[in-house]
Amino acid sequence: MPGDPLLAVRGLATWYELRRWGFLHQGWVRAVDGVSFQLAEGEAVAVVGESGCGKSTLAKTLLGLVRPLRGEVWFEGRRLSSADDWRWYRRRVGYVQQDPYGALPPFMSVRRILEEPLVVNGVSSPSKRRARVVEALEAVQLVPPEEFLPRFPHMLSGGQQQRLVVARATILGPRLLVADEPVSMLDASVRAEVLQLLRSLQQRHRLSVVYITHDLSTVRHFCERVLVMYAGKLVEQAQVADLLREPKHPYTQALLAAIPDPDPDNARRLRPVPPGEPPSLVRPPEGCRFHPRCPAAIPGVCDRREPPDFEVGAGHVAACWLYEGARTVTTAPAVEGGGSP
Amino acid sequence: MTVAPLLRVEDLHLHFRTAAGPVRAVDGVYLEVGRGRTVAVLGESGCGKTSLARAILRLLPRNVAHYSGRVLLDGEDLMALPEEHFRQEVRWARLSLVPQAAMNSLNPVLRVGDQVAEPLWLHGRVRRPEEARDQVVEALRRVGVPAEFADRYPFELSGGMRQRVAIAMALVLRPQLVVLDEPTSALDVLTQANLLNLLKTLRWELGTSFLLITHDLATASELADDVALMYAGQIVEFGPLDRFLTRPLHPYAQALRASVVSLREERAPQPLPGRPPSLLNPPAGCRFAERCPARFDPCGQAPPLVPVEGGGQVMCWLHAQEASRAR
Repeated sequence: MPGDPLLAVRGLATWYELRRWGFLHQGWVRAVDGVSFQLAEGEAVAVVGESGCGKSTLAKTLLGLVRPLRGEVWFEGRRLSSADDWRWYRRRVGYVQQDPYGALPPFMSVRRILEEPLVVNGVSSPSKRRARVVEALEAVQLVPPEEFLPRFPHMLSGGQQQRLVVARATILGPRLLVADEPVSMLDASVRAEVLQLLRSLQQRHRLSVVYITHDLSTVRHFCERVLVMYAGKLVEQAQVADLLREPKHPYTQALLAAIPDPDPDNARRLRPVPPGEPPSLVRPPEGCRFHPRCPAAIPGVCDRREPPDFEVGAGHVAACWLYEGARTVTTAPAVEGGGSP
Repeated sequence: MTVAPLLRVEDLHLHFRTAAGPVRAVDGVYLEVGRGRTVAVLGESGCGKTSLARAILRLLPRNVAHYSGRVLLDGEDLMALPEEHFRQEVRWARLSLVPQAAMNSLNPVLRVGDQVAEPLWLHGRVRRPEEARDQVVEALRRVGVPAEFADRYPFELSGGMRQRVAIAMALVLRPQLVVLDEPTSALDVLTQANLLNLLKTLRWELGTSFLLITHDLATASELADDVALMYAGQIVEFGPLDRFLTRPLHPYAQALRASVVSLREERAPQPLPGRPPSLLNPPAGCRFAERCPARFDPCGQAPPLVPVEGGGQVMCWLHAQEASRAR
């Protein structure tokens, strides 16, 4: 294919088995249930959704920490199937965790934290390791490096800790970075700093980034594209500007309407919020999973048939029957919706 | 304002004893909450905002090193009241709290309805279980929790619902002032919007005053009439929300405003360099001086609280100079 994407995911499904007493099969939690998207080299894409929508499971699957039940993951044109493929792939992926303090071993100095991945991956010369550690610290602006090398995580501020996590995630020169809620534990004034750091690393090294977040308000200046996830599925994919200007899926519209911006008029009006709560992932609703809460649901359609991806604009895809008639996008292979594997 | 405010906090200090020395979590706070108004105490983590809430409610941990100042509720100095009197007459009845992560603060082995009823029994507002039941159902209805949930246990409720139960509990005795400590920070976007809608409606219907503790400017803008910006144990700017959003006065307020990542604003956020000073040994002068782009000579000394036209005050030498020039 010309212009091969760095990462291509097709019909990805990661389910967790529910067991009673540890062995009796009870059902499946369909955390990720038929997700397809592509990521170009050097592109940053945000996966936005509420807790329990499966976005962290998607992150874990993309990190190779959980094996998907179904679907294909392609990286650099190579399909990941055997354990060897995944091992090869994992060396090319960096992980930025949500809680920086929890992600850093408290008894290791900054220097050891950054040397560890080098040791594990066979950089045996101490002087080479030191050079790369210093370089990594400089790249995340923990300068002067000598000052930070002997410190322990608790001696750093939240923003510095998260920058250290980023340094660790990028020290092996990955092609892809998966950042799971990298700023949700940080103060407002520090968020911009960490997001800008990720952005500049991405642009400088042509890194691809999957940025998992529940907070749509942080995507604007830091990503090219947004994927909106609801109950295990992607309901909308678009360029950031298009999505913010013209959200197509009713769920995206509801999310956007619910997010306050600092505005003096906020206190004088109520926000529109769809009723109810996200569905169970064990027994998701039939048809469109948002239909029980959707103000625009079409009876007899949305509650019966699962909507395919409709192309509603250039590079803008919405899985919603409102756009029936638009061309459907077929990135996904024919994966039947229900049933057990 | 000529009418006395509902709550007035004067020169409040709360220091904690630690192995490294006293931590000055609340260090000379002045604050006012008007009747039926909502004041947001806005600040980053570690600035002392939760300690301020605790100091106002007299919910103190054991390692208090120093606790002084005045907390006037309706003109009555709460800090001068004997503990027993405060507990029976004030806490819950006139002044209540929705604690941080309130949804996890419910007792897991008590039915929801019994927990909401507890303040009623303790304060002798009800004599018979049926009376309590009626009031509980009413309190739950007010916060949008169906009556049948009264018989459930907390684990059977979603996070948003548990948060509502905690609010029902804080409101059941109809206090004049409710302190909300980060009421929405652990919740999802839609649940958050729902809860903020509820709090707005409660304000309009009951006329209760709220003291909202939050780190999030957008949340503050959803509920507050006034904003008190806290930095390193002190309120550095206090005034109407409109002014705070459109024309913040203190350099910290301006920097914080510019650093906020927002959905609809075109401009890119500007990170705020540096970090707040340690509360173990805060600088003698202005506590923001080290990070302040407008720092000048006088900032080595403690800045005065300068009253501002249009209400409120700002703790900054820049404005002290302007005010004296105007005179």
